[in-house]
Amino acid sequence: MTSRWMALLLMTRLLSAGVAILLLSMHRVTAHDPLLIVAAIAFTVATLGALAYAPRLQLSPAAWLVDGAGVLALVAASEDWRSPFYVLMLTALILPSTGLSFRRAVGWGIAFTLTYLAVALYTNLDANTLESTVRLETIATHLMVPLIVVLALAYATDVLERLRGERLRSERLAVQSERQRIAWELHDSAKQRVHAAHLVLSALHGQVAGAQAQLVEHALGELRAAGADMDTSVAELRMPLDGRSVQRLLDERAAELVPASDAEITVSGSVGELPAHVAAHVYRICAEALTNAVRHSAARHVDVVLARNGSSATIKVCDDGSGLPTIRRPGSNGLRSMRARADTIGADLSLGPGPDGRGTCVALTFATEATETTSQP
Amino acid sequence: MIRILIVDDHPAMRAGLSAVLRAEPGLVPLNAAASANELWPTLNRTKPDVVVLDYHLPGDDGLVLCRRIKRQLAAPAVLLYSAYADASLMIPARLAGVDGLVSKSAPANELYDAIRRVARGERVLPPVSRELLDAAAGELAPDELPILGMTLEDTPLAEMATALGVEAIDVAHRIDRMIKRLKIEIPAPRAPG
Repeated sequence: MTSRWMALLLMTRLLSAGVAILLLSMHRVTAHDPLLIVAAIAFTVATLGALAYAPRLQLSPAAWLVDGAGVLALVAASEDWRSPFYVLMLTALILPSTGLSFRRAVGWGIAFTLTYLAVALYTNLDANTLESTVRLETIATHLMVPLIVVLALAYATDVLERLRGERLRSERLAVQSERQRIAWELHDSAKQRVHAAHLVLSALHGQVAGAQAQLVEHALGELRAAGADMDTSVAELRMPLDGRSVQRLLDERAAELVPASDAEITVSGSVGELPAHVAAHVYRICAEALTNAVRHSAARHVDVVLARNGSSATIKVCDDGSGLPTIRRPGSNGLRSMRARADTIGADLSLGPGPDGRGTCVALTFATEATETTSQP
Repeated sequence: MIRILIVDDHPAMRAGLSAVLRAEPGLVPLNAAASANELWPTLNRTKPDVVVLDYHLPGDDGLVLCRRIKRQLAAPAVLLYSAYADASLMIPARLAGVDGLVSKSAPANELYDAIRRVARGERVLPPVSRELLDAAAGELAPDELPILGMTLEDTPLAEMATALGVEAIDVAHRIDRMIKRLKIEIPAPRAPG
């Protein structure tokens, strides 16, 4: 956006400097006209050069102040408030009017106009012989123009800003509704078919033997992994990780779990950068382990430790709770989906008692580079 | 012979379930229903022993349907069959009078086993943990806690009403409201269009 206003400044400043030089060379304004021409050229080249060379100056109030002081100095040096540099002076208002919020831009414009009035008083308002009414009307016009310029530019900037915000919002809404649609299709259609296929195939379990049984097991493993992939995709579509690190996500999850439980959760270490789909699976496996530790083990402390070791990484979720249940809770598919997700990214998931034989320790070891894997039953 | 009515909104799931149940000796799948509207005529005509009920249905969900099925005379056993068969569904399922809970990702033999057990009148539900109970208690009003406690002890509705000194219909409405408050909200993506 700034670049467009910079282009406007470039064009108007070159044009108004040219006009000023032309006026100075055609009419005698002061005793030192040639000096003024040199100053005008030097000022124009210096300001435009500096703004183009260091674009951050375009948004710097200090640079605007220097620029404003420069143009007013030229006006003062021309010894008349109806200066040949008047239009050049107006160009110093472009960047502040478009770079500030509407109210501040108007404030800047008023301050600038008052300074110009001070310069006009300094160069002596009575220096000419025209009728005082005409003089008054001219000074009023000269004072109004900067204000109008500022208002027009600030208004235009404001409207453009709003339009851009509106466009961003509608783009975001479009992306969101597309995500919802894909999530719906995955979840309400593809996932149901995977469940159905898994169920039908699992009915063969115990009916076939030997190598065929292994084939069935393999296919069942693939279907479970497909289901887990879809779960992750649906979760990702509904609540994108947005490139946040696994550690930060686990921290956030821990903060969500703490108020509803008595357990104390610590998250430490880091696994560094991960490919997006690895991060998504890893986060969801560990979040499930963390949730289980808090909800089902009556733990007092849960430690989540992340560690990276070259091209592999390990995350351990350890609690001091009641340990792994000896009988699987009927209807619990949390562990199943953790295993299926681990399969998908070729990770190694191990569950067991903690180091001192108490509680539960879930360890997930995975490659930090994306690898193609097939699930093994 | 156990006669089973399937309620699921997805055709692939209905067909798969019917095929799998048909393949198992002793289990007879009846017509499958896709929604609540299709459920009632079939239920009244066929009088099944077990209803295998999807949790996530268009319109009324599985828990609401289960309440209504259980209000009937000689109600069938209800097996909630859900992709979300996790612990957070446990207490609302108990309140709704569900007899069993099976995950859609469970293998067929787990499903057969659960159907046989609920048909015998058993419960196929995991025990409700203290954490779950605490979480549920936090959601409920103090005067609803006795209802939750009595439900978990399988107290009949009439006895609950006597114990609380109110009409049975009031207790039933109370339970409906408790289920509504406790059931997990599945962020159901709207169907496009």
